Amino acid sequence: MLNSAKFGGLLVVAASLILGCAESDGPVARQGAATAPDATYLLTAKPTEVRGVAQACQECENDELIAVEGRIGGVKKPFVDGIAAFTLIDTKLNWCADSEGSATPWDYCCSDKTGKLAAVTIIGSDDQPVAKNARELLGVKELSKVVVHGAAKRDDQGNLTILAKKVYVAQD
Amino acid sequence: MFRLRLLPWEYAVRNLLRRPSRSALTLGALAVVILLIFVVVGFIRGLEQSLAVSGDSDVVLVYSMGADENIENSAIAGQVPGLLTANLGVIQKRFGEPHASAELYLGTRVTVGDQQGLLGLVRGVTPTAALVRRQVRIVEGNWPGPGEILAGRLAAAKLGVQTQQLAVGQQLEFEGRTWKISGHFTAGGSAFESELWCRLPDIQQVLKRQDLSLVALLLQPGANPAEVVLFCTQRIDLELQAVGESEYYASLQRHYKPVRMLAWLVVGLVAGAGVFTGLNMMYGAVAGRIREIATLQAIGYRRRAILISLLQEGMLLAATASLLAGLVALFWLNGTAVRFTMGAFALRVDSVALLVGCGTGLLLGMVGALPPAIKALRLPVAESLKAV
Repeated sequence: MLNSAKFGGLLVVAASLILGCAESDGPVARQGAATAPDATYLLTAKPTEVRGVAQACQECENDELIAVEGRIGGVKKPFVDGIAAFTLIDTKLNWCADSEGSATPWDYCCSDKTGKLAAVTIIGSDDQPVAKNARELLGVKELSKVVVHGAAKRDDQGNLTILAKKVYVAQD
Repeated sequence: MFRLRLLPWEYAVRNLLRRPSRSALTLGALAVVILLIFVVVGFIRGLEQSLAVSGDSDVVLVYSMGADENIENSAIAGQVPGLLTANLGVIQKRFGEPHASAELYLGTRVTVGDQQGLLGLVRGVTPTAALVRRQVRIVEGNWPGPGEILAGRLAAAKLGVQTQQLAVGQQLEFEGRTWKISGHFTAGGSAFESELWCRLPDIQQVLKRQDLSLVALLLQPGANPAEVVLFCTQRIDLELQAVGESEYYASLQRHYKPVRMLAWLVVGLVAGAGVFTGLNMMYGAVAGRIREIATLQAIGYRRRAILISLLQEGMLLAATASLLAGLVALFWLNGTAVRFTMGAFALRVDSVALLVGCGTGLLLGMVGALPPAIKALRLPVAESLKAV
C-alpha cells in the first residue's frame, strides 16, 4: 500500500511539473528591461523648441527639421523588428490603466489617436534606416518618453514620418 | 566472476501461452490502449504539421490592424494591393507581374445537397494566388471560372460531407448563390486544404463588398520583411499590420497550445489506464505461480533472473500489442481527416507518433510487470513452497 502511495505521489508530482512548466509568452512578457544603447544616435540633453506629436502632425512641413516629443506606442506592436523604427504618440494622451487589464496598455486603445500618431525611423549617416531593433539601439521600450530630432516627411494622406538622426530618451 | 544465469527466453514465451485466454485479453486491452495513444498523438502531430506547413517563410500577410490573429475580422481597402506593389521594391516579380495576392476570407454556412448550415471556409482569390501560395497544386479539374469553386482536398471533411458530394461538377450553395465545383487542389497538408476557393470578384459581388481581408506578398529571396512592416507603420491612415506568414501560423500554434496540452494529458491518462491493465494481468499471472517461482529460487536461480523473466513476459506482450496497434494506426488511421474549428487536417502517424506510441507500450509492459514481480520475489522461499 505504501509503495502504491509513493507511486501515485510521483505521478502527481510529474503531472504538476509538466503542466506548471508551460511558457507564458504574451506581449507583456516581452516588455523587458532596456539594453545597452548606441550613443551614436543618442542626445545627452533635451533639444530646445520641442513640439508634441499632435502639434507636429498639424504644423510641420515636408523636409522641415523638427524635434518632436512623444511616447513610444499607439499600436499593439510599436516597434518594427529588424529596422530601427517605431510609432510615437502624443504625451497628452493617457495609456490604458492597469485596472483595465490590458496586455498591451501602450496601444492607447481607449484614446482617440487621430492626428496624434507619427512614425519614426532612425537613419544612419548613409541616410538609410538603421538595420537594428530600436529597443537595443536606443535602450527604449514601450511607453518610453523620447524626443526625436530629424526631418519630417509628409505624404499625400497627411501621415507624418520623422527620419531621426538623434534621439533624446527622457528619464521618467 | 559469477555470471548471472538467466531463465531461458522460451520460458517467458511458454508462460504467456499457458493461459492463452488471459494473455489474449490482455494483449487486446494493451493494443487498444496503445492505439488510443497513437490516435491522440497522431491528432497532435497532424494539428502541428498542418499549422507548420501552412506558413511560407517568404510570404508576408498584410491585413487590418484590429484583426489580431483572426483574419476573418480583417477589412482593408481594395486599393491596398496597388499601393503595396507601387511602394515596395521587395515584392517578387516575374515578367512584370508582382506576386501580391488579394484575398477575401470568410467562414459561411454552406448547403451541400440536402445538408444545410454546414460551416465552410471560403477564400476569394485571383489567379495571382497560385504564384504566392506556392504549395497549392490543382490535382483535378480547372481553376474556377465565374460561379465556380475549387475545393481543397480536406474541404469535404471540414464540411462533414462525403467526398463524392464535392466531386467535380457537383454543386453547393452559400451566400444565396449556387456554385459549381470546377476542381480540387492540394496544398501540402496545410490549412488551405480545408478551404473552398472562388474568384475574388464573384465573392465580392455576392457579399456586396469591395474591400479585402488580406494581401499576401511573396518577397524576393533574401528580402527583409521588415520593409513591409515599415511601410505599414508609416502609412498610419491605412491602419495595416504586416506579419510573416510563418509567424502568423506560429501564433496560431500558441493559440492551440491548451488543446495540445490537454491531448498530452489524455495520452498520460490513457497510458495510466494501460499500466493498470498490465498490473492486473501480471498480478493475476504471478499469484498462481508463487510455488513455481519459489521452486526456481530453490534450484538456484537468482531473484534478479526471475524478475527479468517476468519483465520479459510483460514486455513481450506489450511489444506485440504495440506492433499490432502500430500496424492499424499506420495503415488505417494515418491520413484520416479530422474536422476542427479552423478547418480540417489529417491525422499524422509519423516517426514521433510511432516513437511515443511504441515507447509508451514498452513502458507499460515494464511498469505493469514490475510491482507484481517484486512482490512475488519478496516472499520467503520456504513459505512460498507451501503456497497453494
